[in-house]
Formats: sequence, structure tokens, C-alpha cells
Amino acid sequence: MRNNKFISRFFLYCVLIQLPAVAKSQEEFTSMPTGRGQYALVSYVGGGLGMYAADAGTPQHLQTKLDKIKANFSMRIMWHPDHLLRFGLETGYMTFYSYTLTDSAGQRGKAALRAVPMLVEWSMALTRRFNIFAGSGIYLLTTDLNYITKTKSHKVSVGWMAAASYILPVSKNMGLGMELKYMDAAETSDGSIAFQLQWVWKFTKW
Amino acid sequence: MNQKMFIIISAVLFFVACKKDYQAPVPDLEWDLFNSSAASKLSDSIRQKIEGVYNIEEGQAGFGVASALKWSYTITGTDTSYFLSFFCAQDVSYIICEGKRLDSSILLNGYWRKMINTETGKVQLTISAENGAAAILSGRAITSLDTIKITGFYGFGNGVPGFPLQLRHVRPINKAKPFEIIAHRGGGRSSDLLPASENSAELIRLASKFGATGIEIDVRLTSDGVPVLFHDATLNERVIQKNGLLGPIENYTYAQLNTLVRLTNGERIPTLREALNAALFNTPLHYVWLDTKFKGSIQQVRDMQKEFLQKSDAMGRGLNISIGIPDEGVRDNFLLLKDYAITPAVCELSLQDVAVTHAGIWAPRWTLGLQNDEVNDIHAQGKKAFVWTLDTPENIEQYISKGNFDGMLSNYPSVVAYYYYAQQ
Repeated sequence: MRNNKFISRFFLYCVLIQLPAVAKSQEEFTSMPTGRGQYALVSYVGGGLGMYAADAGTPQHLQTKLDKIKANFSMRIMWHPDHLLRFGLETGYMTFYSYTLTDSAGQRGKAALRAVPMLVEWSMALTRRFNIFAGSGIYLLTTDLNYITKTKSHKVSVGWMAAASYILPVSKNMGLGMELKYMDAAETSDGSIAFQLQWVWKFTKW
Repeated sequence: MNQKMFIIISAVLFFVACKKDYQAPVPDLEWDLFNSSAASKLSDSIRQKIEGVYNIEEGQAGFGVASALKWSYTITGTDTSYFLSFFCAQDVSYIICEGKRLDSSILLNGYWRKMINTETGKVQLTISAENGAAAILSGRAITSLDTIKITGFYGFGNGVPGFPLQLRHVRPINKAKPFEIIAHRGGGRSSDLLPASENSAELIRLASKFGATGIEIDVRLTSDGVPVLFHDATLNERVIQKNGLLGPIENYTYAQLNTLVRLTNGERIPTLREALNAALFNTPLHYVWLDTKFKGSIQQVRDMQKEFLQKSDAMGRGLNISIGIPDEGVRDNFLLLKDYAITPAVCELSLQDVAVTHAGIWAPRWTLGLQNDEVNDIHAQGKKAFVWTLDTPENIEQYISKGNFDGMLSNYPSVVAYYYYAQQ
């Protein structure tokens, strides 16, 4: 919980104070195609906070304390061709939610549901700085249970994501952005709204 | 403005349309007349006289042209509750009633359900003195000259019953050839919105009301080796309430599952011991098929099977319990049992595997056809043949009327019961 507060304060500091200053200094990176026949690979690395948007379904017969706001991290690589529509892959690591529990005998425990998304994505630049993303694929879900004994259990779920980002240029090939995204593991009805700070790097061009 | 309103209304309609209410709760069964202090329980001999095949004279739109009526019971502690089930072919429907005597009439109070949808409602019926109650209550045997007519009403949901229902007794139920009606997953699937979750002890206690004479239950082992009932390979929202626990049930200890997991209707995942206790002590069921859904030694399940068979014998209860052999892996583990040759088993594999395992029951899947020659061969060896899993009424009728099987596994035991008991 303290960790989450620190992350949220750092996040606000970056968004409100540092980003506009950086944006004023240089303005070269653009999300739009740079010219006919020009291609690039662009990486997006982001981290922030996600809020679990679905019903966590914690056991009603137990005393539980639910934590729905969790840190998350994502990384994607997109191919930027010479037209607006792009294609790429995304992965990352997120915790949908966790809860602590106390059973009738006073025994305490903790359960967390974590996920590694592996998604195929499409995106489009609506303006020089504003982009939308949508993707589908799988979520490698892990239940991390510590009650009486430690247990890790895995399941694969189909899923999807949708996101919108605003990228401010830092240099010709780099930008810093903010992204609002919804990530959904469809088979298990787990969904999270995430707000991330993003570093964008056009690392290859041809 | 109009455009904005249109978008908002469309969005609301989109989300509302997606939220389908999908449940079929058992209606409230209050009936003042039935619950009055003047109404008394029916005796065994009276109950038996009500059983039979009835033509439906009014209410055919709801329940078809005929129904087979049969009593079952549930034991809770020292209390035994009796239920009269009406098995109907149309729309996989059934009626479950309790019966009481009021003066010279017999009252039947209960509910109906269609398994093809979520329709359900109250049923309040009467056998008046002039419609046969006088003969039933007289103490003498019922003859073909006696007319038994059940009249009353059925309703929808918790609404007051207002739709007429009338049945006339035409003949006794068929009991010519013993036939095992085996309810899948302890009584049926959770997706069919039964009053209890699949593979729960609560559903096992209800199974005979749905027409079952036996049950099939799915046995898995927890990470600490406790045999429990669970059908699916992984924990999922089809069978349990959402709780963040995912993956194979074999990854969790019994204590973890017992504390954290609840089945769809709120029940705990039962241990095999709890399930066999329910079948033996709370129901009239006389067959349990243990579908082996785990890899590894079967010895623990064999020991429990032996223990409960001994308890059944001691009670004079006649409960048969078979270990299921669904695949080659389980067959190989079964053959590692020291006493496999005398272990009651139901083998789903080939006739050769039935011979090798000494299984007393052969259980081919229904898609292989009637296989009357093979079934006759099995009978010649003094063994039985059960077929699985039939749910379509036309197929159930065909396999009962043209097949030679000794039992049938189904998610809809009430349909099997109808075609078996109504058979002439």
C-alpha cells in the first residue's frame, strides 16, 4: 500500500511538472508517418497504476480486505509504416487485484491475481501526438495464494485491450507520453483500467 | 442535442441488452391449506397407490400428453421427507411435490421446472374423494375400476397458480426390467440452473427427485491427496463463484479449497467421503459411478469404496459403487490395485479392456450406437452395460425402447425416468 502511494506521487510529479517542461524544449518526435517509403520500429515502455474494474468476488463468508489499485508495467513494439495504421506486439506484467483474508479460526492469508498479457495490436495516430491502440491475444494468469501454504497456479485466458495515448516529443526519436488503457482477460471476467507514464523510442528506421 | 440523446440511449440499451437475467429459483411453496394443522402426512401404502402413468387431460401445452409419477425421499437425521415427482417428456419438464392428507382429500404442493429454459412456478393439486382419494385412503388395493384423477393449477414464478392442470391415472409405472437412471455430475449440470451446484453433496441429496436411481460423480485429488468432487480440469466461473483462484484443482490443498472456494450456489467442494455419506445415508440411490479424473494411484479411492460398500451391506442398503475407468492411464493404475479383479468397476474402454480389468460394467459412449450384439455378449458374461451421456429426448427414447442397456447416464434423468417408467 505504501509502495502504491509512492508510485502515484512519482507519477503525478512526472505528469504535472516534468512532462510539459520537456515538451517545450524540443518538438521533433511525431506519431504521424514521416514520409512515403519510411518505416520504423518503435518501442513503448510504460508503468503506472491500474484499478480493477470488475467484481473481484472475494469470498463473502470470510473477512477480507480488497486492494484494487495495483502497479502495472507494459512494453510494446510497433511497426510504424508509411501510413496511419500500425501493427505490433505487447506484453507486460500486472496485478489485477489482491486481498487479505482471515478465516473463522483467525488464520490469515493473502491472494493475488497477476497477469502477463501477450497481445497482437493495431494502432493509429489520430494527430501528431494522439494515438489509439486495440489488441487481442492471451493473458497468462497466475493466482498467488499464501494461506496455510504458498501456492502458485496458472491459467491461460483469451483477452483484449484498448488504449489511448498522448505523446510529447523529447528528441527526434524519443517521446514521453501518458496512456489510458483498459485490459481485459475475457475468459475470467477480469478487467483493469490503467493509467501509465510512457517512454517511446523510435529505435530503428529504414 | 437529439444526436447526443440518441447516442446516450443507444449506449444504455447496448449495456442493458447484454445483461441477461439467467436464473430459475425454486418458487416459494407456501400454501395455507397444505400447511394447515389439519393436514397430515401420507403413509407408505397411500403413497404407493398414487404412483403410475397418467394422461394429462388439461395442461398439455405446459407438460405434454402424459406423465410418470414416482415417489422418492430424502433423509435428514431422523426425519424422512417424501416427494412425488412427475416426469414429463415435453420440454424436459418435471414437477416435484410433497403430499398430505386433508380430511378425505389428498393435497400435492410443489413446483414445476422446464430444463430447456428458465421457466418454473408453483403447483397446487388435489385428489378429491370422488376423484379417487376415497379409494386410495380406504386401505384396499387399487383396481382398474378405480379412477384416480389429480386436478389443480400451476403458475409462473411466485405467482398464484391459475393455469388448470388435470391428470388421469392410466396404468402402473413400468418396472419390468431393472434399469439404472444415472444422473451426471451428481444430479445435473450447474448450467441447467438446478437448485444446487453440480458435484455437490446438496445436489446428490436432490438427485432422486429428478428421477435418478444412481449418480455419476467426478473424483479429483487435491495437492495434499484428498479425493474431492470436481468436474472441470481447472477452477472457473462455470462451476465456482469468482474468488481469484484459477488453475487446476490439483494445485491447491483441501484446506485452501475448503476455506476459499464456493460452488456456484454457495456450497463447499465436497470430499468423496462427504459425497458417499450423502448418497448412502440421505437418499434412496443405489448406484454411484466414481468417474476417475486424476492420474496416479487409485488405492485411496478403492479403500473408501470398500469401506462404504461394507457400510451399505451392514445397513442392508444395497448401494453399489463402481470405480470408473475412462482411459488407458486410469486402466493401468487400476490394474496396479492388488484386488483389482474383485474391485467393482465400470470400464468405458473396449470389451477386451472390460475382460482384462474384470469390470462388472461396460459403459460405451452413446455415439457408438445401440451395439445390441456387444451388449448381449456382456450380458452373457453376467455383466451389465450402461450407456453415456444421452440428453436428447428422441435419443433417450430410442435407446430405451430399442436398446438392451441396463442403465443410462444423462444430465436430464427426469426424461430418462419418463421414457423408462411410461414404457408399456
